Amino acid sequence: MLIYLLRRAGVGLLMLLALSVLVFLLLRLTPGDPVSAYINPSAPISPEALAELRTRLGLDQPLPVQYLAWLRAALTGDFGYSIQRGGAAVLPLVIERIGPTALLMGCALVIAVVVGIATGIVSAVRRNSGLDVALSVIASLGVSSPAFLTALLGLYFFSVLLHIAPSGGMLTPGVPFSFGDLFAHLILPACLLSIGYLALIMRYMRASLLEVLNQDYVRTARAKGVKEFWVIVKHATRNALLPVITLIGSTIGVAIGGAIFLESVFNWPGMGLLLVNAVNSRDYPVIMCATLIIGACVIAVNLLTDLAYAAIDPRIQVAS
Amino acid sequence: MRRRDFTQGLAFTAALMLGSSALPLPAFAQDKTITGGFDVGPGGFPKNFNPLAATAGFMWLKTYFEPLVIYNADLSALEGALAKSFTVSDDQKTYTFALVSESWHDGKPFTSADVKFTLDLARNKASGSVFAARLASIASVETPDDHTAVVTLSKADGSLLSILAQVMMLPAHALADIAPESLATSQWWSTTPIGTGPFKFSRYVTDQYVELAASDSYRGGRPKVGKLINRYFENAAAAVSALRAGEIQFTYVEPDDAKTFDGDNNFRVIKGDSYVVNYIGFNQKVDLWKDVRVRQAVMYAIDRNAIIQSLYGGAATAANCGYVAPHLVPEGLNDYAYDPEKAKALLAEAGWDKINGDKPITWLTYYGTPQAANVMAAVQAMLAQVGINVVPRVVDTPTYNGIVYKQDDPDWSQFPLVYAGLQNGPNPAGINVGLNKSQLPPAGANIMRVEFDDLSAAFDAALGETDASKVDGRWQEVCRVMNAELPWATMWVASRYGVASTKLVDFVWTPAPAGGPYADHPERWDLK
Repeated sequence: MLIYLLRRAGVGLLMLLALSVLVFLLLRLTPGDPVSAYINPSAPISPEALAELRTRLGLDQPLPVQYLAWLRAALTGDFGYSIQRGGAAVLPLVIERIGPTALLMGCALVIAVVVGIATGIVSAVRRNSGLDVALSVIASLGVSSPAFLTALLGLYFFSVLLHIAPSGGMLTPGVPFSFGDLFAHLILPACLLSIGYLALIMRYMRASLLEVLNQDYVRTARAKGVKEFWVIVKHATRNALLPVITLIGSTIGVAIGGAIFLESVFNWPGMGLLLVNAVNSRDYPVIMCATLIIGACVIAVNLLTDLAYAAIDPRIQVAS
Repeated sequence: MRRRDFTQGLAFTAALMLGSSALPLPAFAQDKTITGGFDVGPGGFPKNFNPLAATAGFMWLKTYFEPLVIYNADLSALEGALAKSFTVSDDQKTYTFALVSESWHDGKPFTSADVKFTLDLARNKASGSVFAARLASIASVETPDDHTAVVTLSKADGSLLSILAQVMMLPAHALADIAPESLATSQWWSTTPIGTGPFKFSRYVTDQYVELAASDSYRGGRPKVGKLINRYFENAAAAVSALRAGEIQFTYVEPDDAKTFDGDNNFRVIKGDSYVVNYIGFNQKVDLWKDVRVRQAVMYAIDRNAIIQSLYGGAATAANCGYVAPHLVPEGLNDYAYDPEKAKALLAEAGWDKINGDKPITWLTYYGTPQAANVMAAVQAMLAQVGINVVPRVVDTPTYNGIVYKQDDPDWSQFPLVYAGLQNGPNPAGINVGLNKSQLPPAGANIMRVEFDDLSAAFDAALGETDASKVDGRWQEVCRVMNAELPWATMWVASRYGVASTKLVDFVWTPAPAGGPYADHPERWDLK
């Protein structure tokens, strides 16, 4: 097990190194740089002054020199400073954003998993009933609704029209922190973010449970006189969960993408908003650091998912 | 801090999982608090706290810093701010500022030493100041006493006061120990800045908002509200949502959004001149635009009045040169009234078929709004009618700047034509940087490489004019030359909009370029 973990960690580090090279090159291939993002086209400043800024930022150096300088510093934990924010250190800035993003994604995933699994079970158990059809239609709508649409519609209805949820941000500016205030800001984006995954999980759960319910061991359990509730919960659901867990693990990366969009719409101060801002202003150090941390999270989650298989199904063993 | 945030995040999740079922409303401040999207729109510069590095956002910076002089609220004249008065010598080379009695927010007195410190810093390229080149005409700053500062120029500079209006005074006692090279990356700006303005810096919640508290000792009287909050938004639409939801009391809005507030008694729409002239820029490094008849044809081919009426709702003024202000526009200009037949004739005379014919011409812009897209589509269609085939290419601002400012071996084919805007007021010298041949890169921002001798001479004469009674005439001459030679196809100066809640009292806002600054007196703002 330890060897397996070490091997996966080594592969993960190599992937992060490759990711850093890729992101670095993509950024340099993108037109414009942090200095050109700085100019207001209707009130320009001289290219001479811009060249001086570039020199100060080291952007006039050859690309390999720039990358190696970044890598050398990054290996010591120094990811530089945010160009857009006039010198704020990047690592604390990015780490500060993990909490809000984890909170938003975590809540959305909890909602999606709890409601998705529950409705999937109900739908499978009540197969072909009116409730099943209704839930399936809702799930189809959820899966096919793009995040940008649900986010904007949700914002418009619940915030602008009904005034029952704040339009954005994580806390009300200028007032002391309270859980209630946080919850009020969190609930709408978390629910909207969960819609797509909830629908997907529900469909997977339904299909998986229906398959399991037709297995011989379930029939045997019923023949032995086990109550239907326990047949579903104890015998069928546990086995039906495996593909759902695979789905949850494999969609974490996609969920991060969704969170990025939601954070922009709701001005949620997480990694997504940070990254979007950084890309718009070509804030290279922030983009590099945030991308690597997101990449590390995805790698870690995939590893945890693999380990979770073994925990749930004793037949699966981690190869050493 | 970061560990606490992360732990808090996990704690919040746990709390939610434990069954918080009610949906409490957000908490509200006990004191009067004005919250606005003060950095939304083209005049804003969100997340910048260093006034020496600011290219916009002065409206907000001025709420806690202050300049020596400032424009009045309608941007028609400069008046004193931290200088209660100022005099200019006959040769326009010596400016004497009499300073007000004021204290920094930490209680230390504001003196002429702070003026000298700030101007020296602003002229020092090492500090990362964007004013260094623009203040190059300053030869010395002297401080005969604590309340007098004397600025001596090496040559007359009619723009000096207008530039000084954007130079926020900084406390020497707080910053003198920081090396100029380290100032640009100093955390002082966003953690403990000290100014002299009506509000003092309270805190910055990263990328969310900045909170200011009333300064009790402000010379203009204690502000009527206890807090002033500047909330950041990703775009104007998000700010409009917050405004409609009652979370903020003011924001800049796009013209299309402004219409949706008409007739709503809860809001007041504020309209103002953008002071940005929109133009179609002809890249003089490509052969397409060498012949003035081709440039004239572009002007005649575009029905500017129709576009202004249909796409701007009448809220723009057609520009026949770089200016639209009446005192800068002489009589007798060619108004280039829409005449596609004349455009075709001019193109035929110039031999357009041989110059380019119907080959596509990239038309580059950084304007990404739906309104700009409609404008460009309309112009594209009008130009196509006379045989000029332009293809709009919309990119974001960094990409645009990366293309047009490229120094080594620029690719002219990427921007033979641009749709852009340049600040034309309140100081008319604003467009000099884009048109005078002395401003060719790298010295200046003459990105379309305009090298017209008559025009440059007109600019130089206007900038060097020391007789105040002749200044307007000099700028009129610039306008006349522009109208005749057409370095750009000047389009219009459009209006911009802000929307304020009617709960706001004595609130002053104008869509000044770069956010001004201007005398908006935030200490008088109140909430009903």
